[in-house]
Amino acid sequence: MAEKTTDVLDRARRSAGLSHGELWLRYFELGGMSTALQLEAFLYGALEPTVHDHDVVAHALNERFVELGGNHPIPYLEDRPHGENQDAQ
Amino acid sequence: MDFLGERVALLVRGNLDLSTGSELETILAAVARNGHHRVVLDLAECDFIDAAGFRVITTAAENLDRLGGELTIRSPSGVVRRLLDLVGPAVVYLFGPPEVATGPLGGLEPVHADGVAVRTAPGGSPSPQHSPVTVAAHNDVVDAALRLVVALACATVEGADGVSVSLRRQALLSTVAASDQTIREMDAGQYATGEGPCVDASIQGQSSHSGSLDTETRWPTFTPIARALGINAILSSPLLANDRPVGALNIYSRTVEAFATKSQHLASVFSAEASTILSEVWLDPVDNEISDRFGAALATRQVIALAQGVTMERDRLDENDAYTALRRFSANSGRPLRERAEDIVASVRWPAPEVSTGTEHRDG
Repeated sequence: MAEKTTDVLDRARRSAGLSHGELWLRYFELGGMSTALQLEAFLYGALEPTVHDHDVVAHALNERFVELGGNHPIPYLEDRPHGENQDAQ
Repeated sequence: MDFLGERVALLVRGNLDLSTGSELETILAAVARNGHHRVVLDLAECDFIDAAGFRVITTAAENLDRLGGELTIRSPSGVVRRLLDLVGPAVVYLFGPPEVATGPLGGLEPVHADGVAVRTAPGGSPSPQHSPVTVAAHNDVVDAALRLVVALACATVEGADGVSVSLRRQALLSTVAASDQTIREMDAGQYATGEGPCVDASIQGQSSHSGSLDTETRWPTFTPIARALGINAILSSPLLANDRPVGALNIYSRTVEAFATKSQHLASVFSAEASTILSEVWLDPVDNEISDRFGAALATRQVIALAQGVTMERDRLDENDAYTALRRFSANSGRPLRERAEDIVASVRWPAPEVSTGTEHRDG
């Protein structure tokens, strides 16, 4: 099985140079509804985010990567081919 | 000087001898008079104690013991510790009893493993040690600390007839500690007229000194009030919380030119101490970097929510799908979601003046 999606997020957070607090602020800015503590729990794998929440975090990270001159490297769960995201909803 | 819950910690630097011993004696007496009977004397940076210094420690320990308090010696050097061990009074705690206070400002640092307890605390069992925290303490604790600063400054600054601390709370200056009623009136006179050394120091963050109010021209409305109260010299030192001015330590004298260089130096030492206390606890929710950043985040969030609503209406999507549409556009175009949202919100045109419902608005 592939790496857990939340592991991908936390690894990306580190390589984007964002603290948990800064990532939460960016996530909140983009409309995220979870608390900073819940977000941290997502990143540590202690809580499972909804597909929507995951994608808001992913987008916050992707916008950061664009700021750093990169692309959108984090995949969105919503955009996966049908059949793959049954378990994540 | 430090405040550890209900304890007051005093840091002794250099030599504790006849001359510095009498200063320490004055300070310890002022601390006790202020109702602080549990005192920690930190000797980590004390190089030497002579007989006079020992006598000050002994006397203070016995006094505090009589008052139901205690004197704790922290981190003495090897030599000093052996001396205290041999000839120190029985009522001195070395390194502190195990159940150290854990007040709102945090607890004592972990005691040294090689510490020798001269007298153990009654029924004390070790409790978890807390490192100092930087959360807002209750105002009462801060006020008690500032009252002590006032008492110490009053006792040690040569020429001082009265001392106060003014703080800006809810945008207004107010006196949180004052040595007597005249001093409160001196402060109040400055708040009421909006001028005076206290106001200047609180706003500009720089010391303001007037050696003689006879010849003072800077505060024409306030100066007559001060002179009517019998004050002739004022020295106000700024209090800074995280490098921003938040108040002043005010020292008043009835004597013209009362504050010599040494007094001015001591005033700056006390104001620095008070500033350290305030920096630990000061939470200013207005006008700082965090609130600016948070405000910007809220504004963006609102624009995105509006754009989401417009998209739901225009494209007949549910909330999540509308968001996904915005997000996909952003990802495909490489532009931030905020910019896309701003475009959508800007594209909305109301058919003024009559607002008709169910009208389709499409951008393009």
